[in-house]
Amino acid sequence: MAFNFNWSPLTADERFYERARDLLTTALNKSPKPPIIVDDIFVTEFNLGSVPPDLEILEIGDLAEDRFRGIFKMCYSGDAFLTLKTRVQANPLNTYLSAKPSFTSPQPLAAASSLTIPLQITLSEIKLSAFIIIVFSKQKGLTLVFRNDPLESLKVSSTFDSIQFVRDYLQRTIEVKLRDLMMDELPAIIHRLSLQLWCPDQVLKEGDESKEESDPVQNPLGSPPLDAIDASGHLLDPTEISSLSLDGGPGTQSLFSQKSIIQLASLNGSNHTSCLFTRELHNSMLRAWAGPSDRVDASPTPPLATPSLSRPPSYYGSTHTYTFSDLGSQDTGLLSSRPSLVNLSHATAGLSLGSGRHHKAGRKKKTRVVNLRRKTGSEVSSEAGEAVSDSTSVQGPISEPAMPTSLLEVPEEGEMVVLAGSGPSRLPLRLPQDSGDHGKAVETREPILVDSKSQRSRGGPQSDTSSVILEQAWIMKMAGEIARRVYDEKNRNPAFWEDRDDTPPPAYEAR
Amino acid sequence: MREFMHYITNAFYGATGWNEDNTYKELNATARELIDFPLPLGLRVNLASLATPHFATSYQLGTVGIVDGSISYLYSSVALRGVTAQSDRIPLPALLRSFRRLHDLGSRGDESAPNAGGPGASESHAVSVDTDGGVGLAPTLVGGNKVTGRDRDKSSLLYGRLYLPQSLLEGLVVKRFSPVLQVQLSAVSEQSLRNGGTLLGLIQYDKGKFGVEGLASTDGGLLGVRGLYNFGGDASSPGATPTACSTNESSSSSSSQSGERERIYGRFSVGGEVYYGTLNKSGGMSLGARFATLPAHRGTPLTAALTINPLMGNINATYAILAKEYCSLATRMEFNVYSYESDWAVGMELWSNRRPAGFLLGVDPNRQREEVAQKLAKTNERSFQAKMEWRLDDPEPTTAAEEAKAHTGQDTPSVTKEEEYLGVLKARLDQNLRIGLLWEGRVKSLIFSLGTGVDLHKLDEPFRSLGLEIQYSS
Repeated sequence: MAFNFNWSPLTADERFYERARDLLTTALNKSPKPPIIVDDIFVTEFNLGSVPPDLEILEIGDLAEDRFRGIFKMCYSGDAFLTLKTRVQANPLNTYLSAKPSFTSPQPLAAASSLTIPLQITLSEIKLSAFIIIVFSKQKGLTLVFRNDPLESLKVSSTFDSIQFVRDYLQRTIEVKLRDLMMDELPAIIHRLSLQLWCPDQVLKEGDESKEESDPVQNPLGSPPLDAIDASGHLLDPTEISSLSLDGGPGTQSLFSQKSIIQLASLNGSNHTSCLFTRELHNSMLRAWAGPSDRVDASPTPPLATPSLSRPPSYYGSTHTYTFSDLGSQDTGLLSSRPSLVNLSHATAGLSLGSGRHHKAGRKKKTRVVNLRRKTGSEVSSEAGEAVSDSTSVQGPISEPAMPTSLLEVPEEGEMVVLAGSGPSRLPLRLPQDSGDHGKAVETREPILVDSKSQRSRGGPQSDTSSVILEQAWIMKMAGEIARRVYDEKNRNPAFWEDRDDTPPPAYEAR
Repeated sequence: MREFMHYITNAFYGATGWNEDNTYKELNATARELIDFPLPLGLRVNLASLATPHFATSYQLGTVGIVDGSISYLYSSVALRGVTAQSDRIPLPALLRSFRRLHDLGSRGDESAPNAGGPGASESHAVSVDTDGGVGLAPTLVGGNKVTGRDRDKSSLLYGRLYLPQSLLEGLVVKRFSPVLQVQLSAVSEQSLRNGGTLLGLIQYDKGKFGVEGLASTDGGLLGVRGLYNFGGDASSPGATPTACSTNESSSSSSSQSGERERIYGRFSVGGEVYYGTLNKSGGMSLGARFATLPAHRGTPLTAALTINPLMGNINATYAILAKEYCSLATRMEFNVYSYESDWAVGMELWSNRRPAGFLLGVDPNRQREEVAQKLAKTNERSFQAKMEWRLDDPEPTTAAEEAKAHTGQDTPSVTKEEEYLGVLKARLDQNLRIGLLWEGRVKSLIFSLGTGVDLHKLDEPFRSLGLEIQYSS
């Protein structure tokens, strides 16, 4: 088997560079620029060079007519370069004043006079070395993920090369920016492009989905309030929010509903300004009401850069997990041991698997909590869960279109997890990790069954003895106990939890 | 158009004898106002009132696509009795004129209204309106309005403004501690700002011959110092007190110094400013010099200023001239010695004594003007009397009115001359061939301001902006 990569025909096309330059120029000027940049940014030179990157195939996970999954090792040390031109404001006082209210401006007479300096930045001698995971299917487009930081070194030369600290600063800043771009933006861009190429109907669907998500009134719990505030560990600045909403990255768009973020920012801001309007958040639920589920958030979000991540995220992987609900530490354990679940949902949404993964994981959990409680009353197939969740603030199930099949499969696999006191029928609780907003992926999903024997072995007998009682307090206590034990178990034997990843993902099994 | 609250604030400075022009910040204010006058955008309506001599309110409603507005209140510990706040009688030059005359340096200690006769009289009136409490129509009221020293020295002003729906709050506190020391605190609160708002403190020390300001801002920890030093002209002649210079200009001093003043008679000012942001470790500075003729100067009033920013290599020269009573011109040139960038702009102000749209009514503008002047003089007297009786409950309204009448008799020519201006056209042109046009005037008791911006580079759609602002005050 051989692959044939054509590097030179790409660069031989004269119009290619022209188009690429235009594309880059418009992309760079789309978002509002900081006040220090006083002119448009022009890409004057762009060349991919003559040296192609070295590609080494490490693993091919899946190969068929319409799908492909593999891991590559890429090394690049070619002669590609990129030159940008713009003009910057050199007077710091001028940029300082530009964004300030005029009422409290010190109103300098001439100290803020402008001095614009043309600036030219050339990026060259780019050295890349990365493991690339490529997942491709006709339906889902192409997903490209860098497993590690691809940028090895880079030479930044600018007009200010003679000034040492300016040069260092530029070098540092641009390296950081480029890393972000490679890890976060580039996969998203490639995914978008591939969707446009192969399946334009998916692009449409994604648009619908993001529209749905950005409507906080219909689904205000899709993005819980507190989450948006401290999604990055600290309070979101309004400026950050505006940048979130403005740069329009697909990642941020589907991560947070922009309306919610703005609402929350105004709510937050109204506390320490004189804003008269305290925005009311409809259908919101304070975290304190959620009871024990707080522990989910209190427990540290597991780092997802575990070795298990090396496995390419199964694109058609499962989103159905059978588990006890509301066991905080267990949840985190599941998440940490099965990152592919988390990754999956993002992959379907065309998200990057970049540095923002931690927050995504945390958010998923909370979304689940909220959504389940909300849907409990309305779903027919969740009587058992309803009984439990109403009384014990335990998460109930969400029903999905794929419900019957997964229910049928559960007993066959023998991996069923039973919740004590959940009713005479002892229906297994289904707990989808994916909160149902990626509905388009449902038909292709196949269940992965969680190996949770340890939980069952402990939870089963205990629950049998007291299944008659159905006392809320008891269940709470038991849940806490189980959570503690599971957590202990996990701490004692972390490898046990990661074993699960050795079972091959049953993607494409049903086909 | 100066906003009503700005006008009242100026009146406060005038009533307390503070010379707000004696600061480095205002070094080239004349040319700046002649060239960089703000153009109204959209439709904007102002309703304002000086409800009591201590309290003023203003409401603004505007629409530029979306409707917004503001509410503002002002409290002055000094009674602003002589201020003409009614928009049908408010002196237009106080609101609209850009050319600023110099004020007496030592007027703080023992000021009297600079009632100068002679050629520059009306002009000095126009300016005195600006700072001396808006006394344009009843200049003699300064006597009745004059605040005693102790009151004035501890006077304070509070101002607040709330913009809706942006929920932006502005606050200003001005506090006088001594005749030469004043502290200003201004603050803005808005949620989009970092930390929810900023605060700027300004301490001003004005000794007449020199003025020093220190400022500190919470935004970036900015600290700044700026100072202005005056010499030449009245500042360098210690024998002649400034008041004598201006008041007795036509009689006594003209004999001794007339020859000098025929040539040129003005004041030099030099100054500088330094800023340093303690948090962002950045700074800036500039130096400036100005020559401006004094009101006593008999020739054409002019102001020339030069500022240099040595760090950024920026040189800025402005020149403003009051060519005729009804015409002011200004030019500005900028050059940067590092980047070789240059810029120029010219501005013009043309006063008109025609009634706005008067020709549409088919009325002879000259006759109309006379009638208006007479009518204004009458109504002014009456309404003033009524006001004194009704609002202030003055114990001796008749004597005050008589006094006023006696003084107005002396000043009538200047008053009517001032009032015959019923509108002003302002225009500017800059290097990028952008034209700004502004027509301001009075219709009945409304003061309007109609402005547009024209870009000659884009002739297919030249009008870049259009706006109308209407103000009514009582």
